[in-house]
Amino acid sequence: MKEQNYNSHFLVPYLLIIPSMIILILFLYWPTIQSFILSLYRTAPFGSRVIYSGLENYKKLFTDPAYLDSLQRSAVFVLITIFGGLAISLVLATFLNKKLKGIHIYRTIFFIPYAISPTVAGSLWIFLLNPVAGHVNYVLDFLFGFQVPWLTNGFFAFIAIIIATIWKNMGFNIIFFLAGLQSIPDSVYESAKIDGANSWQIFRKITIPLLSPTTFYLIIMNILFTVFQAFGIIDIMTQGGPAGATNLVIYKLYRDMFVNFRPGLAAAQSVILLFLVLIITFFHFKYGSKGVHYQ
Amino acid sequence: MRKINFLLVIALVLMLSFTAAAQDKVTIDFWHAMGGHNLEVTETLVERFNEQHENIEVVAQNTGTYNDTLTKTESAVRSGDAPHIVQIYEIGTQVMVDSGIIIPIEELGKEVAEDNSFDWGKFLTPVSNYYQVDGQLNSMPFNSSTPILYYNKDAFEEAGLDPNDPPQTFSELKEYAEKLTIRDEDGDVERYGFTLGIVGWFVEQMVANQDALLVNNNNGRDGRATESYLDREPAVRFIELWKEMVDEEIMLNPGRGWDGAKQAFLSGRSAMMIESTAQVTNFSENAEESGYELGTAFLPRPDDVDRGGVIIGGASLWALRDHPQEELEAAWEFLSFLSEEEQQVYWFEQTGYFPVTKSAVEREMNNQFFAENPNHMTAFLQLLLSKRGAATQGALIGTFPEVRQIVENAIEETLMDNMTPQEAMEEAASQVDESLQEYNSLYE
Repeated sequence: MKEQNYNSHFLVPYLLIIPSMIILILFLYWPTIQSFILSLYRTAPFGSRVIYSGLENYKKLFTDPAYLDSLQRSAVFVLITIFGGLAISLVLATFLNKKLKGIHIYRTIFFIPYAISPTVAGSLWIFLLNPVAGHVNYVLDFLFGFQVPWLTNGFFAFIAIIIATIWKNMGFNIIFFLAGLQSIPDSVYESAKIDGANSWQIFRKITIPLLSPTTFYLIIMNILFTVFQAFGIIDIMTQGGPAGATNLVIYKLYRDMFVNFRPGLAAAQSVILLFLVLIITFFHFKYGSKGVHYQ
Repeated sequence: MRKINFLLVIALVLMLSFTAAAQDKVTIDFWHAMGGHNLEVTETLVERFNEQHENIEVVAQNTGTYNDTLTKTESAVRSGDAPHIVQIYEIGTQVMVDSGIIIPIEELGKEVAEDNSFDWGKFLTPVSNYYQVDGQLNSMPFNSSTPILYYNKDAFEEAGLDPNDPPQTFSELKEYAEKLTIRDEDGDVERYGFTLGIVGWFVEQMVANQDALLVNNNNGRDGRATESYLDREPAVRFIELWKEMVDEEIMLNPGRGWDGAKQAFLSGRSAMMIESTAQVTNFSENAEESGYELGTAFLPRPDDVDRGGVIIGGASLWALRDHPQEELEAAWEFLSFLSEEEQQVYWFEQTGYFPVTKSAVEREMNNQFFAENPNHMTAFLQLLLSKRGAATQGALIGTFPEVRQIVENAIEETLMDNMTPQEAMEEAASQVDESLQEYNSLYE
């Protein structure tokens, strides 16, 4: 009797995880393995020829200055977008945390960009930054008497993509910061005030540390957003141009796969990307979590 | 009781025969990339065909852009779900020929459908020349266009230029653009003389207009192309002109793609532009609404160079091989229907794309269409007066979509002052060579 019991206990956990394992294997592990296999081949369009090429695709990528450039550019993009985006979102979240009349309406307004599709977001920004009829240049010209070649100059196009991505993800960050802010008990602030702390000290010494679990989570999510989801905005706004200035790794991958018909090369890039994200996540958890305070 | 049984049997037989009739209907999947107004026109043509053919049902589906359509076709072929007919842009020609999934329409018509009444000589020569590879017509010409110069005649008069004497050469284009540019007291440009979107297609056309080749082996027509001629004078001097005019602020750089330039011209921010002939109808309507007169002219060329001509652009319809005999026959029926005079005239008048058959052109001439629409006449004459040869036949390149991007990238490098036109085009040429070598090695 006892033995049977033990046996059923032994099996139950495995039975319980089978459904999720099936989904993970089918939609995550198997495609990952397949990309890895694909990255070892050169394939003709429509799959009419498949030629084994070993690690040649990887070798080609790491000796291609354009790819190394795009890796570096992506790193800069991710850093600026995450830190800029989180800082702005935190400031806005503290404002939105005030008990004002109609605060729900303001919160909704700030969340809207996150709810719209990247295609719509990209189109809106093109419209605003348009050199002929764009509102941004009109305002700049009216106020300061100059116009900016937003999408035709590499530097400004890069800035434009950053602005659009930050704007697009802000809603998500604000919601989480708001939730974090609201979970900080008022008693902590009150005792700080009694001890004579000014508002900067309160923000620096209380709000930021107590928000750190939220920030930690948001950094991971934002890495994923900016590395993978920036694609939609880039595709609509700049298509990686001008002169490759906004050609980030994810966009180059898409192009090699779907425009240039080089599935092997694209698969190799996705494997590299997977490892990069793994490494970053590992270090983030190893070292980043040290600064995280749980209440 | 017997009677009822009898009636039931009759009813059953009738029902069965109906389902049988429904099963007899052959369904043809047709994937295309026509959006907006052209989508409606395409669907009307499909409806007409379905009405006239009781036993064939063509199901038309818009599959996004040209590039999306090519990509979707690729994944559909891999999952065994391929459509019967697919619209592929002209630069996908080589990749489709190499794909091993298509049946050349000449083979489809002659051998599979055994249609002896079809006149293979009915297509306009420049059109059939482009889609002829290895001596046979591979795909059914469908929507065809070329670029022409559009200009605002009222702006010409304002600037003291003769509205009936458009620029013919590069130096005239520059001179006219200077005169047409208007600056305010701060020196900011209010109206540019000329604008051009960064689109690789224009470079290909400008090279052909100088009767020069884009790649070796007679533009890839005598054998696989292995070397690009982008670093040679015909391409480089066009990029030089482009850069000079942008630097002198007599030409607006609207960035990559088509929309920016079109918007600038239609809103009066630029007085001249080069665009596809498929826009003639659209631009003429805009001119009428905004109250200016629209002029059109052949593409300008360098001063001391004889005119070559333009290459047909747009897309054609490909039949995929892996389908049963009766479906292939039905697909042929539809393709052949589209090339009939009536459909061709309707297509041309509704969309602005050229009719691709001689009889449709003749009919339009007889009913005074060209006399009443001189801008359509410009488009046509430029195509028909093009020199015959490999230069205007158009290049065959397996990685053409990639080549276009490389060229667009090179233009941006020069406009941003990162490289001189010569340097940028040399780099582009070497990238294209590498891409060609990579592609060709797959088929060795």
